[in-house]
Amino acid sequence: MGTQAPQSIDVQPDNQVPVERPRTISRTNETDPAQHGEQHEGQHYSVPLQDLKTVFPHGLPPRFVMQVKTFGEACLMVRKPALELLHYLKNTNFAYPAVRYVLYGERGTGKTLSLCHAIHFCAKHGWLILHIPDAHLWVKNCRELLQSTYNKQRFDQPLEASTWLKNFKITNEHFLSQIKVQEKYIWNKRESTEKGSPLGEVVEQGITRVKNATDAVGIVLKELKRQSSSGLFHLLVAVDGVNALWGRTTLKREDKSPIAPEELALIYNLRKMMWNDWHGGAIVLTLSQTGSLFKRSKAYLPHELLGKEGFDALDPFVPILVSNYNLKEFESCIHYYLENSWLQHEKAPTEEGKKELLFLSNANPAQLERLCAYL
Amino acid sequence: MAASALKVVRSWSGLAPGVTFAVWSIPRQTQVRWSRYSPEFRDPLTDKEHYRKPVAGLTEEEKYEKELKKTQLIKAAPTTTTCSVFADPVISKFTNMMMKGGNKILARSLITQTLEAVKRKQFEKHRTASAEEQAIIERNPYIIFHQALKNCEPVIGLVPILRGGHFYQVPVPLADQRRRFLAMKWMITECREHKHRRILMPEKLSHELLQAFHNQGPVIKRKQEMHKMAEANRALAHYRWW
Repeated sequence: MGTQAPQSIDVQPDNQVPVERPRTISRTNETDPAQHGEQHEGQHYSVPLQDLKTVFPHGLPPRFVMQVKTFGEACLMVRKPALELLHYLKNTNFAYPAVRYVLYGERGTGKTLSLCHAIHFCAKHGWLILHIPDAHLWVKNCRELLQSTYNKQRFDQPLEASTWLKNFKITNEHFLSQIKVQEKYIWNKRESTEKGSPLGEVVEQGITRVKNATDAVGIVLKELKRQSSSGLFHLLVAVDGVNALWGRTTLKREDKSPIAPEELALIYNLRKMMWNDWHGGAIVLTLSQTGSLFKRSKAYLPHELLGKEGFDALDPFVPILVSNYNLKEFESCIHYYLENSWLQHEKAPTEEGKKELLFLSNANPAQLERLCAYL
Repeated sequence: MAASALKVVRSWSGLAPGVTFAVWSIPRQTQVRWSRYSPEFRDPLTDKEHYRKPVAGLTEEEKYEKELKKTQLIKAAPTTTTCSVFADPVISKFTNMMMKGGNKILARSLITQTLEAVKRKQFEKHRTASAEEQAIIERNPYIIFHQALKNCEPVIGLVPILRGGHFYQVPVPLADQRRRFLAMKWMITECREHKHRRILMPEKLSHELLQAFHNQGPVIKRKQEMHKMAEANRALAHYRWW
């Protein structure tokens, strides 16, 4: 089915042809992100719920998950930053080193959902998705911190690593049997993974033996980086809240001295992934102030959030600014809520109601969603 | 004379604390509550449409009023006045009653979370219901809120009246304001006291509101008990003199 007509239709001033009132169209039937173009800007496309379970077992913002549960459908809005990112991803040259794209913007503008749009596109095209839903969760509130078995200087985080491995398995089930490990890994006196065995075994080992989960994650990252150049698969590394890798942690050792991020094995291995010394894929990152530690609440620029170390590590990268809704997107969002009968207040569909919503939310997607929740 | 009668009544407060005085309605000439503003201050007019009218479109009377206001003293508008189209006086009153220690931000956030919880619960019900039921299920949280509070309002109340050294609970018709106040007070007390400490207020309040909307639940029970007590004490009704 083709796309529906764009919002404003240029009608030639002709006495016979009746002038069509521009209707707000908030939905499109195009479910394939590869076909999304500028004509779909501002429109919502729905992700099938089956795909949602496999592609996004983790990674969607919690309020969006609540919305999906309430409406019974997952609809993402097609916006300019996401379209720009998709355009770059479509034209990636897999022979060149992986390009880093950084989505930045103020709080609540839609960086995470733009990242999810890109991930959906790559999943549809059979890329291998390495999605870390929130790097900030790895640098704070860790209940169990073990000394790493591989390197005495570093620390293991068994819980976080095992949950991530479980979700990674759900997303990339079919790749785990195809990719073969290129080295022998010895876990302990009794268990080891032979060279040439599928990657799925390493993941299983990490999930079942929680103590080795962090090392399993490290092995997965190393193998994928090594083998992405082979051309078997395209690798997408998607990290939300990447500024956690170069910030500070709130974790402390037993003697109450603070731990630097590089002393955590997960962070150390992830930082190696961020280097562009591999090819055969792309790296899409999001900066986030919301979960960050020791950063001003109004900070959103890459230099502020990444700090000198992070900026130098990621330099050069392609920055993509995600901003608040423009008028067309705002109208589309309101129209989508009205279609789903989410705006129940009788004054909400009126012009004054819309003006008031625009004023109160300043066209910020997160604020608008919170306002409409109780109206 | 009225002032001296009221002064005598006020001295009785030492006898029985917490007793609502039925005797306030002796001749209502005395001002009990006073205001810092002296009498010449006029109330403010907070109507956007009134001030948006173009100068040319004003009638003679309105022009005179406008000139007169320039010379008169006007009270400050309270901070709670809004020109928002979504403002609801019932919700504002309920928020103020929920507020503790002046923390209006917390009270307002609790109310908005409650309305959201009510809406989501109703949407869930609507999704899983058949076509006929879908037409009946109400999804507007404001309508549910208003209807629930209306269902909780008692029709008749009890008032302690002193006769012959004893306080008798006399059934008495309640004013509209008092009924609305009692409904809100009962709802808030019920949600604060009879819940497990781990359950959050919006969850409990949304549950109670939905129950009251369907004329069930502990707050409706309390209203019905009040009615039963009033019915039981019918014989004392002649103690009322107003």
